[in-house]
Order: sequence, then structure tokens, then C-alpha cells
Amino acid sequence: MGYIELNVLNNTAPEFALGIDLGTTNSLAAVWRDGRPIVLKPEGKSALVPSVIHFPRDGQPIVGREARDHAVVDPRNTIFSVKRFMGRGLKDVAQELASLPYKATETERGLIQLEIHGKKYTPEELSALILMKVHDVACRSLGGVETTKCVITVPAYFDDTQRQATRDAARLAGLDVLRIVNEPTAASLAYGLDQRDKGNVVVYDLGGGTFDVTVLTIEDGVFRVLATSGDTHLGGDDFDQRLAGLARESIAKEHGPGIVDDPGFQQAVRMGAEHTKIALTTDPEADFHVHVPELRLNWRRRVTRNEFDALTKDLVDRTMDACRRALSDAKLETRTIDEIVLVGGSSRIPAVRKRVEHFFEKKPHTELNPEEVVALGAAVQAHILVGGKRDMLLLDVTPLSLGLETMGGAVSKIIQRNSTIPCEATEGFTTYADNQTGIDFHILQGERELAADCRSLGRFKLRGIPPMPAGMARVSVKFHINADGVLTVGAKEQSTGVTAKVEVQPMHGLSDGEVETMLKKSYEHAQADFDARRVADLKTEIGTMVLNTEKHLNAARAGLDKESVLDLQDALAKAKQATSSTDVKAIQKARDEFERATLPLAALLMNNVAQKALMGKSLGDV
Amino acid sequence: MTACPHCNTALETPVSCAACKRPLSLADDVGPFDVLGLAPGYAIDAQDLRKRVLRISRDIHPDFFGAAASADRDLAERNSARVNKAFEILSDDVERADWIVRSLGGPDEQAERAMPREFLMEVLEWNETLEEARATTDTLDPRLVGLRGELANRRAAALASIASLLTPLPTRGSSKLLVVRQQLNSIRYLDRALTEIESLRLARAATR
Repeated sequence: MGYIELNVLNNTAPEFALGIDLGTTNSLAAVWRDGRPIVLKPEGKSALVPSVIHFPRDGQPIVGREARDHAVVDPRNTIFSVKRFMGRGLKDVAQELASLPYKATETERGLIQLEIHGKKYTPEELSALILMKVHDVACRSLGGVETTKCVITVPAYFDDTQRQATRDAARLAGLDVLRIVNEPTAASLAYGLDQRDKGNVVVYDLGGGTFDVTVLTIEDGVFRVLATSGDTHLGGDDFDQRLAGLARESIAKEHGPGIVDDPGFQQAVRMGAEHTKIALTTDPEADFHVHVPELRLNWRRRVTRNEFDALTKDLVDRTMDACRRALSDAKLETRTIDEIVLVGGSSRIPAVRKRVEHFFEKKPHTELNPEEVVALGAAVQAHILVGGKRDMLLLDVTPLSLGLETMGGAVSKIIQRNSTIPCEATEGFTTYADNQTGIDFHILQGERELAADCRSLGRFKLRGIPPMPAGMARVSVKFHINADGVLTVGAKEQSTGVTAKVEVQPMHGLSDGEVETMLKKSYEHAQADFDARRVADLKTEIGTMVLNTEKHLNAARAGLDKESVLDLQDALAKAKQATSSTDVKAIQKARDEFERATLPLAALLMNNVAQKALMGKSLGDV
Repeated sequence: MTACPHCNTALETPVSCAACKRPLSLADDVGPFDVLGLAPGYAIDAQDLRKRVLRISRDIHPDFFGAAASADRDLAERNSARVNKAFEILSDDVERADWIVRSLGGPDEQAERAMPREFLMEVLEWNETLEEARATTDTLDPRLVGLRGELANRRAAALASIASLLTPLPTRGSSKLLVVRQQLNSIRYLDRALTEIESLRLARAATR
């Protein structure tokens, strides 16, 4: 004889994690559902959350589409393209800052800060606001299911500092990052290319602010990256800037050169240019319109696609250079490439598609929305990482070589670019003076030969070497890059076993202490935010419970004892009343009381359901 | 071959057990052949090596140990790095030969730096051709295309000689190891010139 197990009480959700594409222009999340990745979007709306933050004079910052609407009216307090500042110093982004209306300063450790309403914000804090919004949108579209676990993507060509900054931003947003994944590599996962036996794939990823190209090979369900190349200063924004230049020049002639410095004007031109660029992907000609009522400016001009292509040809050329470098590093030729995948909104530009197809002599994949494909792939990786999928594996590489500064300012490379991660390497060093008790190490990342031309990741000192003649000490320095592409360094003197206190203080990055302080600060605000959110959720929940109770109570009244009915009616009235309050504790209490009072009703209903389920079946059937 | 300490199954490689899918503790001095469970030897089947590495990676990649105990997670991370390093060495003809020479007590690259005079004269000649080609613009100089072919042939010849010297593996301290080291050093000169030509080719392709 069998028995039935009513699974109505078991509502523990299976573990899952979000895939988040934190983009220069737009951000979005995706999740694995029913055997495939899907993007998470509010009903009837686009999944893309513009990576824009507006700070009203009073009140909480606004993120996304609503924030973008403030760009022209309040440009100084509306932040675009914050990703360009992640892990960078003022010197690195001088060019970007010249065309943006923000007030920027630098901390003594070279960390950039944007000043808004007299308050200073790091790019990490600003990105955290975007991540919180994306997370919120995602959880809402999942019907309020909460998860803080996620995979976040970064451009493949991001260096160690930029990756760390992304990780810190996620920590500030209260997210638990399972993995930082390279965008183009993630994109390859989204296309289901693992279905093929074996093949070489090129991912061409032209995003809002960065360009990446990745060459990978697929075999036995393993995606192995062979080479990656790119440019962290090349993206759709640059195409907009070329068009914007056209407008600036012509308008300055008509209205005098002073107008180009107006921040409202700058934003209007930017947005007009972006609009024109998008129109030109489908039309051979489009209007370029700049309208700033405050400046009594209403400028209009026709732009042809040919004109746009000529203005941006060198940008496309630069992406093709990177393609050649990546193929050269992978030791492959164009004819050995089986598939090409286009990623990033700017890969929609017709001239880009034409050049890619011509270069590889093959039609690229464009079936998936190029703006969603990275998030979709991140969701696949997230699913793998929570243990949902074991038939697929991604082996990524480190995009830039890592090394140490040697005497005379040269670089000794310890890990070569395009090494598969996780990876490790050990290098031996010795002392150059008698009785030398310490050695300074300077960690560098980049391909150039001189330390001054590479990115400085930090310095550390090995102390406590016992006095001995020069050249006798045997110091081994070990580099380890983990699966996130993040570096740790250790040093040890072999004869004595002295290990270094390795405190790699990242340049252009937050220290652990700073992250802690920021977290504390955000918790203070967070309590208020959290309460407001909780009140909203509780009200919705009570609404549903009231509806269900009223629906069933009349029919089931006969089966309940009088006391239970009175108790339930009382709790229902109190819960209804509580929804007009804003006190989270009072609402929570009313809701809990209400739930307790519905228990007899729920038990009765469950019994009825069970009886119905058993009706017409003999015992032997169940 | 030893057995898994957890489930006693015979191990294909010391980094993990294919049966119980657990990463195993690995000593620091285990060499690349042993890491991948291969018998040492210069000749290697590239496809077999690759498939083996993919198979092991699928067992021990940290991606699959997110929910595991932290000790296993750390082991997965470290062993994956060891497997990747072993693959990097063994899949490259030059690095593999270099490792074999060092493991058999042969001279390291610093110890045997002296190159024959005639060879160095040739190197000077290549460099002259490279200098001249750098001064020209537009396309890749036809002389460089010729030089590239010549250098590639010499590289292949040096590798063939290394293969015959290392098959079967010489005994520890054999004089053959010195000859292999000299060949490897000549390949370093060839590779430096070939890299120069390749970066010149990329730069020329980018010239507009």
C-alpha cells in the first residue's frame, strides 16, 4: 500500500544566484530558470537599467531610467559612465573627465572621488547604488524571492585594481559575489555553443565604454580561453563623442564658443548623439537634434550613415587591431575560426558588423540581443557555481602579464598574459648587499618592459632576513591568481623560512578599512530603506491573505468552531487596519497574529483538498 | 600508482580522485608529468594530453567546490593552478624540454649562456635585416617574410634534434643534456627575432 505525501508545507526554494552585467551604459540581471537563462525584467518593461544615478538636493539617490531624465536639467548631479572610473586615478581618466561635467578629486592613495552636493563619492559607492537597483529589480521580477548570491561580469581587459573595485562595489551593495567573470567569456556560455563537439570561437564585445575580443576553444564541454585582448578606453561612448564633436563645432560657430562649456549643453549633445547613432543602425539617414530650452538652443542637422562611418572609421580600425593581436596570441588564423559572437550594444552599428564579417569571412551570431547576452551567460555561470550544472566548465585566462620591478626599473614577468586561471608561479630572488635584512617588491601589471609604463598594483617588503653575504639569501616570491582573476602574492626566505608580511596596498583602490567604514555608513541608511521596503512588502502580503480568507471563510464557516471564526474575524480587521500604519513592527505583529488566526481555516481547507484528491480512488491506487 | 585516501580507488592523477571527486593534498615538489599522472618522456600526444587536462579540470575546478568545505575548496583552487601550470609546461615543446633537462640535473639556462661565435654573427645579421625593415613603412618587408621562413625552419630543426637527444630519456647528468641546453638557448634567440617580426607584422597591418 502506498501513501500520499502532501508537499504543501515544503516551500524551501532551491538555491540560485543572479548573473549581473554591470555595464558602462546599462546594467541588468539574468537567472537560470527551467533549463535555460532568462533576463529578469519588470513586466512589460525593458530589462536594461541605465547605469545612471541622480542625486536630488534632498532625499535618496535615484538610479536608472528616472535618473537619466535629469541629465540635461541637472547635469552636475547626474552621474553617467561610472564604470570608466572604477579602479582608476585622476591621471588615467583625464580625457573622460574633460567631456563630463563632474567635479573630481583624488585621495592621497590616488583613489578618484566625485563631488556631488558637496559630498564625495568613490566609483565603488556609486556602482554599489547601481548594483542595488539591479538586484532590487531582479528580486521584484522574481516575485519577491531574495538572493544575495551573484556572478558579476567585468571587461576581460580589466586589470587587478578594476576587478577589486568591482568586488568592493558588490560588497557595499550587500551582495555575495560567487565569481567575477569576464564579459566576452560569459557571452560565449549564453549561446549554447557547448553543444558542438569542438570548435574555435571569437567573441567581439563592443560595449558602452570598453572593447574586448576573446578567442576560445570548446572541447568536451570545456570552454577554454586561448587569448584575450582589448581596450578599456574604447566603446559606444566614443562613437557618440565623434558625433557630438560635429554638433559642438557647428553650434559654437552660431552661438559663440562659450556654450560648449555649459554642462546642460554637454549632456544634451551627448544624448542627442547617442540617439542619432541608434537611429543610424536601422536608417541610412537620421536627425541629430540638440534642444536646450534654458539656452534657447534648438539645433538640428541630418546625418547620413556614410558620414557617421567616416567619422568613426579609426575606432572600428582599433577594434580590428585588437582582433589581430588576439588571434596572434592564440596562434590561430581567421580561417580556423568556426563561430563569431557579437556582444554589446555598439556591435549593432552596421559598419562594425560589416568589418567583422569581412575580417573573419563568416557571418557572426546575432540571434541573441547583444545587450542581454553577457547577463545571460553570467546566469549560466551562476547556475554552475551553485551546483546546478556540472556538464560545462569555463577555463578563463588572465588578460595582462604580472611581474615585479627589478633593479634599474625594468619588469621581470612572473605570469605571462593569457595564462589559464587559477594559476601560480614562483620566482627566486636574492640580496644584493652584504647583511641586507629586507627586500622591497613592487608588483606590476602590463605588457611594457619598463616598470614606469606598467600599472602599479602595490608594494610590499620582506623583512627579517638574517644577515648574510650578498647573493646568499634565497627568496622565493609566489604569485597566485584565483578563479576570479584576483592576485595574491607571498614571499619566503628559503634558508630560514621567514615569510613576508604581505600587505599589498592597492593603488587606486579601497582598503579593507575603508570598505568597512562605508558599509557601516550604508547600514545606517539601509535600516530606513529596509524598513520602508519591508512595510511595502508586508502590506502586499496582508492584502493577499485578506483576499484569500474572505474568499474561503463563508464556504468553510460551517466546519469551524465559533471561537475560531470570531478570532479570525478580529485578526482580519486588525490586519486591515494595520496597513494604514508605517510602523514596521506594528504591521509585522498584525500580520503574524492574522496568520496564526487563519491556521484552523487553513487546516480545514487542506483536509478538503486531500479528500478531493482521494475521491474516486480505491486505497490500492494511492 | 597510489590509491585515494578517501575511497581507496586507484588514482589516475595525485591531484584528485576521479571516483569520489575530491581534490587531494599535493606536495610542492611534484613535477608536471606526475601532476597529470603521465610517465616522463619527451614525446607527447598533444590531443591525449589536452583531453586528460580537460578531464582532470572537470573534476577539480574550483567552480564545482563553491559549497564544499573550505579545505577542499582551497585544495581545488591550488591543484587547478598546478594542473594548469603542468599543462602549460608539457604542451609546449620548448618548456617541456627545459623542464626535462633541469629535472635530470642538466645545466640551467643561465649556466650555459655562451653561444658559438658563428651563431652570434648570424644573430647580428638578422637584427640588421630587422632594423632595415623597421625603417620602411607600409607592408611587411619581403626580406622579413623570407627571414621569418628561414628562422621557422631552423627552429623546427633545433626541436627535431632536441627530440632525438631526449628520446629515450638520457640518464641523469648525461652530456646530452648540455647539447639540449645549447639548442634551447639558440631557440630563445630565434623566438626573440620571430616575436619581433610578428609585432612588426601586426603594426604594419594596423598602419592606415
